[in-house]
Amino acid sequence: MRTGSNRIRRARPLLGTFVEVQVGGAPQAEMNAAIEAAFEAVANVHNLMSFHESGSDVSRVNAEASARPVRVHPWTFRVLQAALDLHRLSAGAFDIAVAPLLQQLGLLPRHRDHRTWLAPSQATTEAIELLPGERVRFKSSGTRIDLGGIAKGFAVDRAIDVLRSAAIPTALVNAGGDLAAFGPSPHTVAVRDPRDPRRLMCRIVLGNEALASSGRYFDPFGSSEPVSSAVIDPSSQKRSHAALGATVRAPSCMLADALTKVVMLAGPSATALLDHYRAGALVVSAGGIVRMTRDLQSTVCLAA
Amino acid sequence: MTNWIDWTAPAALVMSVGSAHAVQYLSLAEAQRHAFPSATNFSVVQADRIWRAEAGGRVVGFFIFDRVIGKHLYIDYSVALDPSGRIRQVDILQYRESYGGEIRSPSWLAQFVGKTNSSQLQVGSDIRNISGATLSSHHVTEGVKRIMAIANRLK
Repeated sequence: MRTGSNRIRRARPLLGTFVEVQVGGAPQAEMNAAIEAAFEAVANVHNLMSFHESGSDVSRVNAEASARPVRVHPWTFRVLQAALDLHRLSAGAFDIAVAPLLQQLGLLPRHRDHRTWLAPSQATTEAIELLPGERVRFKSSGTRIDLGGIAKGFAVDRAIDVLRSAAIPTALVNAGGDLAAFGPSPHTVAVRDPRDPRRLMCRIVLGNEALASSGRYFDPFGSSEPVSSAVIDPSSQKRSHAALGATVRAPSCMLADALTKVVMLAGPSATALLDHYRAGALVVSAGGIVRMTRDLQSTVCLAA
Repeated sequence: MTNWIDWTAPAALVMSVGSAHAVQYLSLAEAQRHAFPSATNFSVVQADRIWRAEAGGRVVGFFIFDRVIGKHLYIDYSVALDPSGRIRQVDILQYRESYGGEIRSPSWLAQFVGKTNSSQLQVGSDIRNISGATLSSHHVTEGVKRIMAIANRLK
């Protein structure tokens, strides 16, 4: 989106990464107002679902849901419902209850209230109970949730909703590589090569849909900050070495975000799940072989 | 049922992203205007760094420009504070990212020194949207914390 034309592109530090909003085709004042509202929606998701913010729904649930049902925001409830469905349909590969394990591996901070340390095997998504009235209860006292593998995509979807309802003709929202777009003409997105993040592997033409990527590479640039792309295999409770990277195209960014984690673990055996969610994927295996679902073939422009 | 197809491209065919990628989101003046639409004047508190936003002689807030090092290169950002010193918004003005070994060369780095916000970098600007390795905004967050530590003195 070129500056000077009828397009605006802005970025803010949110969700632990840089969130970028691009819009086009409307008067400047309308686009500026819509961008503000879109960032506000992302900030709301951040405040509700951050593991790090002590006042977030996630922190409240982690602190109290073992003792009593905790009422959460409708958005948080929606994400939890989707996470439970994904857990069931992926035979446990997608698990938002690996937080104690992530803490143990030093990928999430330990909060002061965690006085006792519980075996991670006790904590899976199955221990999460969703009750009427948007309330959450944990069946096991060792349960801690982390929505890092799904909330970023959900935030992108909420920003897209805001821009659509503001009647913006074309837009793209990119939260550190998890992105979604709409508009009359497709957007081209470059995908980093997980074998060498300095390079681009391919370009994907994106219509009114979403794209997300996960990489096995953990913090390739030596920052001290944990990178959310770390994928844990709930069955082995170790960092996944199944694939180097995965990119998923899906109808929503929440699904694309969550499905990258499953595809990283399950590889081509995630086919039924991808079909169920009308999604496609591109996987780079541990051996460096690139495979993609046939539906992606027409939209992927391989580098050459 | 979805089918999978293999793509076994030789590594040599993988395209390079180019040496650097820079995005100019807002100029300093644009960022000031967006943060304080009602302001009629921005008076300098500290040269090139801190401004007081005023509307008809009344202080409506403070605007702070800062630069932190990202992965390898500078990220320019601004923090807008309301008159009581609370954060109103944080915007990225310019984002730069480098690739490959050239970052070790002082002469290569020197091209970024002294760049004003109005001089937009054009390197690699055709690469617009990238999906992949999550880039951490940790450095900007730390920068904002440092700014908030001095914000009390502005009031």
